[in-house]
Amino acid sequence: MSERSSGSSQEVRLRRPSDLRGEGGRRARRGSRADGSALSWPERFAESERDRSALIVLLHLASLTPRRLLELAQERRTAAHCLEAVLGGETASESDRALAGSVRPDEARRALEPSGARFIAVGDPDYPPELLDLFDPPAGLFVRGSPLQGLSPRVAMVGARNCSPSGRDVAATLARALALAGACVVSGGARGIDAAAHRGALRAGGRTISVLGCGIDILYPGQNRSLLREIAGAGAIVSEYPPGTPAEPFRFPARNRIVAALCRAVVVVEGARGSGSMITADHALDVGREVFAVPGAVSSPLAAVPLELIRDGATLVRGPADLVGDLGWSVTTADSDALAMGAGARPGGGSAFGRSLSASERAVWSALTVAMAPDALAGAAAMPLPEVMSALVGLELRGKVRQIGGRYERRLEGSA
Amino acid sequence: MTAGSVGAGAYGFRTVYGRVFAVAVVGVQGRLITVEAHVGRGLPALTLAGLPGAAIQDARERVRPAVESSGLTWPLRRVVVNLSPAGIRKEGPGFDLPIALGVLAASAQVPATLLGSYAFAGELSLKGELVATAGVLPMAMAAAAGGLKGVVVPEANAAEASLVEGLDVVPAPSLAAVAGFLRNSWSPPIHPAPPRQNDPTSGREVDLSEVRGQGMARRALEIAAAGGHNLLMVGPPGAGKTMLARRLPSILPAMTRQEALEVTRLHSVAGLLSGGLVDVRPFRSPHHSISGPGLLGGGSGFLRPGEVSLAHHGVLFLDELSEFRRDALEGLRQPLEDGRVVVARASGTVEFPARFALVAAANPCPCGYEGDPQRMCRCLPHRLLAHRQRLSGPLLDRIDIHLSVPRLSRTELLGTEPGEPSEDVRARVEEARARQRTSLSGTPWTCNAQMPGGLARRHARLSNAAESVLSIAVENLVLSGRGFDRALKVARTIADLMGEERIGEEHMREALGYRAEPSAEEMTQAG
Repeated sequence: MSERSSGSSQEVRLRRPSDLRGEGGRRARRGSRADGSALSWPERFAESERDRSALIVLLHLASLTPRRLLELAQERRTAAHCLEAVLGGETASESDRALAGSVRPDEARRALEPSGARFIAVGDPDYPPELLDLFDPPAGLFVRGSPLQGLSPRVAMVGARNCSPSGRDVAATLARALALAGACVVSGGARGIDAAAHRGALRAGGRTISVLGCGIDILYPGQNRSLLREIAGAGAIVSEYPPGTPAEPFRFPARNRIVAALCRAVVVVEGARGSGSMITADHALDVGREVFAVPGAVSSPLAAVPLELIRDGATLVRGPADLVGDLGWSVTTADSDALAMGAGARPGGGSAFGRSLSASERAVWSALTVAMAPDALAGAAAMPLPEVMSALVGLELRGKVRQIGGRYERRLEGSA
Repeated sequence: MTAGSVGAGAYGFRTVYGRVFAVAVVGVQGRLITVEAHVGRGLPALTLAGLPGAAIQDARERVRPAVESSGLTWPLRRVVVNLSPAGIRKEGPGFDLPIALGVLAASAQVPATLLGSYAFAGELSLKGELVATAGVLPMAMAAAAGGLKGVVVPEANAAEASLVEGLDVVPAPSLAAVAGFLRNSWSPPIHPAPPRQNDPTSGREVDLSEVRGQGMARRALEIAAAGGHNLLMVGPPGAGKTMLARRLPSILPAMTRQEALEVTRLHSVAGLLSGGLVDVRPFRSPHHSISGPGLLGGGSGFLRPGEVSLAHHGVLFLDELSEFRRDALEGLRQPLEDGRVVVARASGTVEFPARFALVAAANPCPCGYEGDPQRMCRCLPHRLLAHRQRLSGPLLDRIDIHLSVPRLSRTELLGTEPGEPSEDVRARVEEARARQRTSLSGTPWTCNAQMPGGLARRHARLSNAAESVLSIAVENLVLSGRGFDRALKVARTIADLMGEERIGEEHMREALGYRAEPSAEEMTQAG
């Protein structure tokens, strides 16, 4: 999937009320190519060295959104002219004009060097063409790591930062299967599902791209610093913001549009109502990417976004086999165990796991269909509590169950 | 023990010297003090010598009105009162009565006959009434130890004073009555001896049978009681942590008389006693805003026992553990280790006994909903991390049983039967304690929790199967060296509860279910 996917040829799977309403929906507010507002970057917008340096200065200006820059480029044609327009008092805020005036373009260019960032401007051969599907494609990207063309096909995986441990396992398992199928996993580098997806891909020896909402030298959040370095080594870290840009809340939703546009499909693992996962899925819709969602229990707040997406027509994913199969790929038989979601495994039978269980462990495992407190399990399996506790710890020692806040639940196979 | 020659007239002031016994309380120890009074020439004044503390300085203002209100005469001359030995600092309001009597003796208003065989204690009101005074039990103990015949105490404190066997306790309502007693014109009404409360269930309002569900927590309480283990409960608000902790005293073995006397003495010193013997194990739950001295003992001037000592032989419950002041929690290490608190002051070192079962409770995160399947945790990662870090460290190493208490939904609560009554559980606990005393005989310890980590292994008596479970646990679960020792001790207690000689596989596994949550560092790595 390295070729540019055009929105019109891609089957749009989602049918949602907001699509049909037209005027009032989210899409109408943000606009899209379908609205006829599609603009494209002029030829040779940032080809000369002077233009490229000017573009970097322009990208530093917070008030000059990608869409405004795109509109400005329609009449000014090159980045250097756009910068002149900004200095002349057009478009940007007062403080941004002062900022643009105080920076010499070639200095801004040189300042990139310590961060190790490569700058890719729109029109460059390695600028990902998929981004041009966006209503407001970035005029340039800062990249650390491998060239982006080599990192494909790409699948995005997004979800809650405050995810559940089992959500983390699901994300890691799916990412692992995608990596084994040869895909590059794209995510936002945040904690929670994002980090689990990146880690899952890396542990399977796969490649992964992290799209940041801050400068690529910031490595935010701090707890993922070593993970982000690892990602830069095995894939790439990408941002539309120049190095040094701090992490600020308003940049993260904007970052999500790049995550969605870079990929062939977006997988949503967990998300609470009103969270960024929904924004990413919306962007995927706008640019005509497939949306997959992993369901959860209706009683779980973290299942709100995936369940809403599924109800609106997103593809339900039960496990790695569903996802990899729907994308039309296969993994080698040697790795086929990566396609099994072990939480549903049945004890007994002929499996090695089933044979290794004691009678009480088997009873507890069978009763443990949802996260349960040991008391409830003792009732469900009709066993005395100390025996239940002993069986649970036995299963825990084998990495089959885990305890969250006093309740035990099954773990996914291979996620230990 | 004389007051000079007894003068004939009350106003003759021929006698100038009087001597009375009082008791100063240092820590929980009473110390016999001689109160000397001299009425000499000079302008009317009362001078106190011999290191009187602030409360005794106050006595100067109270004693004269009390004497005059009692129909007695205050000598309008220069009065010097000396507290001897002068080397130790005297604290407490109990000196009002002995000072007054010293002055009365020195002014020949009371005969000295009985002054040598009784110790006197009590605070006076301006009207001359004796009001309840803290620390009367250790005072009575000191009087008995000093070979005195009896004590004269406020009526309200008579019950505690009479806990000392063989001591004549004179409960007096007022200074006038005491003067009458010394003049042989008043004798205390004969009180029936307070009923000895040996029924271990008396005074308990709470029972384990009132807890619905929470079988795992009840089990953990039973194990904690049986092995003397400290317990940490982590769970969201409303999970029932406080309710569970409150019921731990009800399943602990009944106190011996010696233990009850120790507890009563501490409560007497703290002024918390309202009757006689405290024979119910105390339950103390200080608020998390408590100061270090409040928790551990001390304070300026009079050194009071802290909450740890008031919980002696009982339960100290620290709710919202992470909110307690760091220095206060650090100070818990000594009592947890040694069963006592040593408070050092310029005036000397005081020791309070403090052997208690610690039950701590904490929310899983600042908002309380981490890990709850129904509600979202809204905590920012750095606050979550800070919360976890406050919950780690050396104090937690001394808590053997870590328990997650989930908030039960209504469906989970439905259909649960009320549990076993405390009495039945206590019977098992007492049996397990007896087994431990046997197996630990010849060692300085009486229960499993007291075994030092290194030696736990020798006394644990592991079966081969349990041994292999433990080694798998070290490998597969992140089990630290201390975690290893803790699991071993808890497994030993479970085996004792079951009446098993060796720790079996199932005991070991169950014990591992009560191990500590992963540390903050591990949580970060999990992302």
